[in-house]
Parts: sequence; structure tokens; C-alpha cells
Amino acid sequence: MFTSPILDYSLLAPILIILAGALIGVGVEAFARKEQRAPLQLGIALVSVVASFVQLLRVRNVRSLKAAIDSVAFDGATVFMQGSILVLAFFALLLIADRGNFVAQASAIPGSQDEHSSIAEGKSQTEVFPLTLFAISGMMLFAAATDLITLFVALEVLSLPLYLMAGLSRRRRLLSQEAALKYFLLGAYSSAFFLFGGAFLYGYSGSLSLTGIATAIDVNSGNDVFLLIGIVFLMVGLLFKIGAVPFHSWTPDVYQGAPTPITGFMAACTKIAALGAMLRIFYVALSADVVMWRPIVTVISIITMLVGAIAALSQRDVKRTLAFSSIAHAGFLLTGIIALNQSGLKASLFYLVAYGFATIGAFAVVTLVRDSAGEVSDMNRWVGLGKKSPLIAGAFCLFLLSFGGIPLTSGFIAKFSIFTAAYESGNTTVVVFGVLTSAIALFFYLRVIVMLFFTEPKSDAVTVSVPSLKVKLVLAASVIVTIVLGVYPSLLLNSAQSFASFLR
Amino acid sequence: MDISNYIYLSAILFVIGAIGVVVRRNAIVVFMCVELMLNAANLAFVTFSRINGDLGGQIASFFTMVVAACEVVVGLAIIVTMYRSRRSASVDDASLLQR
Amino acid sequence: MFNMALHVGSTQRPEAVLFWVMAPMAVLAALGMLLVKKAVHSALLLAWVMITLAIFYIAEDALFLGIVQVVVYTGAVMMLFLFILMLVGVDSSDSLVENIKGQRPASILAALGLGGLLLSLIARAVTNVDAVGLTTANTAGNVQGIAQELFTRYVWAFEVVSALLITAALGAMVLAHSERKHTSQRQLSVDRFRQGSLAQTAGLPASGVYARHNAVDVPALLPDGSAAPTSISPTLQARGDIIESAPFELAPSVEEEN
Repeated sequence: MFTSPILDYSLLAPILIILAGALIGVGVEAFARKEQRAPLQLGIALVSVVASFVQLLRVRNVRSLKAAIDSVAFDGATVFMQGSILVLAFFALLLIADRGNFVAQASAIPGSQDEHSSIAEGKSQTEVFPLTLFAISGMMLFAAATDLITLFVALEVLSLPLYLMAGLSRRRRLLSQEAALKYFLLGAYSSAFFLFGGAFLYGYSGSLSLTGIATAIDVNSGNDVFLLIGIVFLMVGLLFKIGAVPFHSWTPDVYQGAPTPITGFMAACTKIAALGAMLRIFYVALSADVVMWRPIVTVISIITMLVGAIAALSQRDVKRTLAFSSIAHAGFLLTGIIALNQSGLKASLFYLVAYGFATIGAFAVVTLVRDSAGEVSDMNRWVGLGKKSPLIAGAFCLFLLSFGGIPLTSGFIAKFSIFTAAYESGNTTVVVFGVLTSAIALFFYLRVIVMLFFTEPKSDAVTVSVPSLKVKLVLAASVIVTIVLGVYPSLLLNSAQSFASFLR
Repeated sequence: MDISNYIYLSAILFVIGAIGVVVRRNAIVVFMCVELMLNAANLAFVTFSRINGDLGGQIASFFTMVVAACEVVVGLAIIVTMYRSRRSASVDDASLLQR
Repeated sequence: MFNMALHVGSTQRPEAVLFWVMAPMAVLAALGMLLVKKAVHSALLLAWVMITLAIFYIAEDALFLGIVQVVVYTGAVMMLFLFILMLVGVDSSDSLVENIKGQRPASILAALGLGGLLLSLIARAVTNVDAVGLTTANTAGNVQGIAQELFTRYVWAFEVVSALLITAALGAMVLAHSERKHTSQRQLSVDRFRQGSLAQTAGLPASGVYARHNAVDVPALLPDGSAAPTSISPTLQARGDIIESAPFELAPSVEEEN
């Protein structure tokens, strides 16, 4: 006899609101007139994000494992991560809505007459808004999923729109399409590894849910080898998503080729979702068998930090530099997983927010530096920009200092908390390497600051264009958050502390 | 016959697919090797479902098929776009992004 | 065929025969997919592997999945691959010359290494694997069992997959749908004759040709001697770059003498 399943819609509402917004966006694409589409889409997207956040606040104290019959866990960590994804996505949407970033007509061959006429008509592919909303819903689900099937489906829901949007840049389209192809092939490759690992975890434990796997590990019922194969292959898929070495080769290329607002969105929000899922998998399902995976993750974390910091030194392109810095941050965030304690979880949550805001701010600045042909991302042409527009260059330097972990920025508090948590759990090696690589990275960031402010500008046509209201909002918010969280970290740290828990 | 033979077969197919992605140059064939890997994972799921006596593995396999179908649509659209711009589907030609 | 999967764990001849006939073929087809030059052959070999796997699913008591594998995976997905291969270049074949030095031996080594590692690990694990079999799970029938699970335990994932389907459709439209007006030649000529007057159907008059000037900035003359405005480009008219034709015509005295 079939009994209808009971879903707790109030807890699933944040995700459902975003999905509804995406569907309305698709409808707008079909029925609205061309001129009305862009403002309408932006309005729908922002309203859905705000409504979803409001609903999340309303249910923030509910804790339930049965929101969607064992597929979704609604616990403190879910609330915090979904909230951070929504807040960062709000600012990413403002950046995406800035004119002139997206291709006029994606099906027009680059350089053809079709492309010229679509640009002349002022067209733009406004489908990026529903695609972004779908990606946001996938990210929110990925951070909350407790079931291998839901994890895989959420992984694909968040990835497919990003693959598409990486190819939709208005300028340097060949580069952009190449980035989309690379991202897609490597992403599909790693999803296949994720699935294979999931199959072996299922074979080991007889259950698809994370709690079932945890029980099986406790009882030690299955074949250990299946567990090992399962963990290793699952990790390959997850490490790809956060850009850890040796699965990081896509990060510089995709960050460079994709349209800059999408790069900012990817860098900030995908990290939160992927790290949220990793934290949940390791803390809930695999925490009983630490001996099996902790050495591997430690080694990967150390190598990632080193590669990220050292490779960033030799980059000539700003977006690639930010990509390698993002790889280094993935390494730092992995120490939160190694720590495997409550302060590690709290520190990871804080780190993700601090890093997210600094990243979106940095990419907002990158969209502003232009010459007549479009964005300029060659570092050598950024020389002396501090003299031309001190405020924006100053903001960029603030974000770089936050990446480097200078005191009075949010980055410092984030690094300090995560290293303290790792030290408390007894993993001192990773802390030592973390501090060393932070120092190396800092040297590089200081060099960039000197180049921006203390060097004479060349007589190049590079200027910092006046930011539109949307970009001004994004920059202002990022600067304020970076400074405020650096000076009064307890504003966020306390709520991270209270929300840092997983339901088992 | 030993049911674990299916698991061996799944592992062999997975490895062939994994190496195929690295070796082949045509983007469509690379994607087909990824599909082979997903199929190998599906076989593993179904076999483990039979070993555990639980239908969850078959459900997982079913979801994988749906997801793979969507991924194929998106992937082939991206590959066709690349092909239209460059008249070539080779991953070697996608070399504008330098180290 | 339904009874083939019962009595799991003991040597059951039909299933063993099926496996040992089809599995080597599947492996050979997969290797072939890797090694053949032409992409279309790879696609067909992959379709063969998928059909073999469908047969295995049916043998393993996953009846619904076996049929779905044939219909959806082989039937829809592989046919889509073949369509795209036809579009992108049915003759496209990878050149055998490998660009990256040492890639081929390195990849063979990696294949043997990874494969050997996995197989040996699995061999260690499966020494005491006892299959429970799906007879109890399938008591109401395989389709009913899957439906029961799908619509009660996994209904949320089932609904979220719809987001994936919409994304795929939207993405394909974005990348492939072009909005330019496709006026064919036929439509253009029909439009020309339907303009209201037949004056322009033969096209606009060319600019004037005179004894000493025949560039585009000198207008042709109408029968009454005045300049024809439609014989000059509107841009030149707007810029005022039109030249009088009188200085370039033959002088009347020369004509009268003849």
C-alpha cells in the first residue's frame, strides 16, 4: 500500500523559492519583450534571493533530519551555509547584471556578421539569470544533502549552469568557449569518479545515506577495501570542485576564460557548497574511520597550499593569480576538515564567508579595469593604477591583504581560527605549512600593492571605469565586511559558533 | 558463478574509460569515455544492490541515467559551439589558454 | 530468464555462460572504442557496450533498469552522440601522431597501474561476499519495488532532477538557437515585387557615365535632363558630395558639328 511521503516544506522553502524564481525567469525569457528582459530578470532574481533568505531566517532554529525523508539535513551548518550562499549570490547577481559582460548572441560565430548585428542591436543573453538561480539552488542543496543520490544530483544541478555560463563571455569568445569545454570535460570526469566512489560506499555499507555509512563504519560490518576505494574516489570528485591539487588544472584556465562576474560567483559560492558537502561527508559519515583518510587529506592540503602560493608568484594575468590564490585557500580550508572538531567547523564557516566577500570584491575590481578593447587583466598593465583611481585600487589592495591574512582584515581572523582549530586537534604539520605558505603568498600580494601604488603608470590607455551603482554596492559591501569582520569578528564568529553543528 | 565478477568487470570498464579521457583527442570521443565510466559505476551500483538485497542501488543507477542524459545535452551543445567557431573538435586545438 | 538470477551464490550455469560470453565482448568493445581512429566507430562500439550492460542488468534482476538502459541510454543518448558526430564531421578521425611526448607509454602504464591496483584490491575484498539476492525486494515486481522507493524515499531528488532537465533544455537553446531573420532568396524577390509600385523592382539605376567622369558621385540623368536622385548613395547625398554632370558631358558644339 502506498503512503504519501511527508515533506517539510517550510524547511525546503528556501530552495523551492529559488527554483520558483528560476522557473519564472525561464518564462520571462519566453514571453517578455527584449528590452524588458534584463531589468525584469534582475528583479526576479534579487527578489527570489531575498525572499529565500528571509524564509531561511524564519526557520533558522529548526533542526530536522526529516525535511525530505532522509535526503536533506536541516541543521545549524545547513542554515549558515545556505545563508552565506544566498548573501554572496545577491552580490554576485548585482555584478552579473552589470552591462556588457555577457555575449550578445551565443549561437553567433565569433567575428561573423551575425555577431556584429546582435551587438549593434544591443542584445544580451539574459538567460544567465535563470541559470544562476538554478546553480544557486544546486549549491544550497549540495551543502544540505545527506544521501549519496541527492549529493550527486545536487552536484550536477550546480555544475551544469556553470559549464554553460563559462562560455558566454562577450569579449575573447574563443577563450571563453575553450574554458567552458575544459570545465565541462574535467567536471564530467570528476563526477564519474564521485559516482564510482559512491557505488563502493554503498557496496560497503548497504545504505546510500551518510548516517547509514557512519553506522556501518562503527559496526565494521563490510569489507574495508570497499570503504577505502569508496572514500578515495569520492574525494577525487569533491577535491576537483574545490580546486585542490592535483585536480586543480581547470581552475586557472576556467577562471581566466569565463566572464568575470561568473568567475566571482564560482569562486565564492561553489567553494561554500563544495566545502559544505565535504565537511558533512567527513564529519558525519567518515569521522569514525579517521585513520583511513586523514593522512591523505593532510598531504593534499599541504601540497595544495604550496602549489597555490608558489604558482601565484609567477602569473602575469590577474585572473589567473586570483585563481591560484583560490587554490591556496582551498588548501587552507582543507585544514578545517582535518581538524574534525567543532572549532574546525566554526572556523571553516567563518573562513568561507570572509573569503567569499573578498573574492567577489576582487573580481568586481577586475571588471572595472578596462581599455578601449575591454577588460585588461594583464598585470603589467595594471601598474600605477593607484595613482589614477586610489579608492578602487585601495579596495583591491584591501582584498589582497585579506587573502594574505594581515591583521585587521577578515582574512586574518579566518586563518587564525582555522589554524587554531587544526592545532587543537593535534595536526601541527599542517599548521606549520599553512603559516609558511601564507607568508609566501603575502610577499606576492605586497609586491602587487607596491606595483599599484608606488610605481609610475605607463602611458597606456588602461583606465578604471567609473563603477555603476550595482558595482558600487558590491564593492562597498565587500570592503565593509572585510574590515568589520577583521575588527569585530565576534559579529559573525559567535553565530558561526552557534550554528556549527551537524545532525547525525 | 561468483557475483564479484561483475565488480571486476565494472572496475575494468571504469579504468578503460578513465584512460580514454586522457588519451583521445576528439572532444566527443573524450565525452563518450566519460559515459563509459558512468556506465561502469551503474553496473557497480546494480551489482551491489543485488548483493545487499536492497533496491537503493538500482534507484541510484536510474538517477545516474537521467543526470547523464542532461549532461550529454549540455556537453554536446558546448562541443558544437566550439566546433562552429573553430571548425575542429580536437582538444589539442583548444590551446589559447596558456600556462 | 527471470529465474536466472535466483540461487545466487551457487554456480548457476545459464548466468555463468551469459557472463563469460558477453563480458569479454564488452571489454573488447570498450578497448576498441579507445583505440579505433574514426569517431563514429567509437560511438557504435560504446552502444554495443551499453547493450551488453543492459543484458547484465536484466540478468541481475534489475528488469526496469535494463529496459531503461536500452531505451534511454543506448536509444536516446547514443543516438544523440551519433547525430552530433554526423554534424561535427563524420570523417573526423584523430591523427595517430601524438603531440605530447611520452603520453602514450605513460597512459598505458597508468592504465595498467590503476587497473591492477583496483582489481587486486577488489580481489582482497570479495573473498567472502555473499549475495542476498533481490527476490524479497522484488516480491511485488521490480517496477513496483522501484516505484515504491522512488516516490517515497527519493521523491525529493526526483523533483530536483527536473531543475537539471530545464537547465539542459535552456542551455541547449542558448547555445544553439539563433534569432536572425532567415529571409531566403525567394522571400527577398517576393518582397521586391510586392513593394507597392514596380518602379524599383529591377533595382536602382546606376550612377551616370560621361565622357570624362564615371565615378559613383555623379548622378545619372533622367529623360528631362535633371539628375536622378536614386542613382547616388544616400550617404553621399547627405554629405553633399554630389558633383554636377554638366562639366563632364560632351560639349554641344562638338555634337552639332557632326
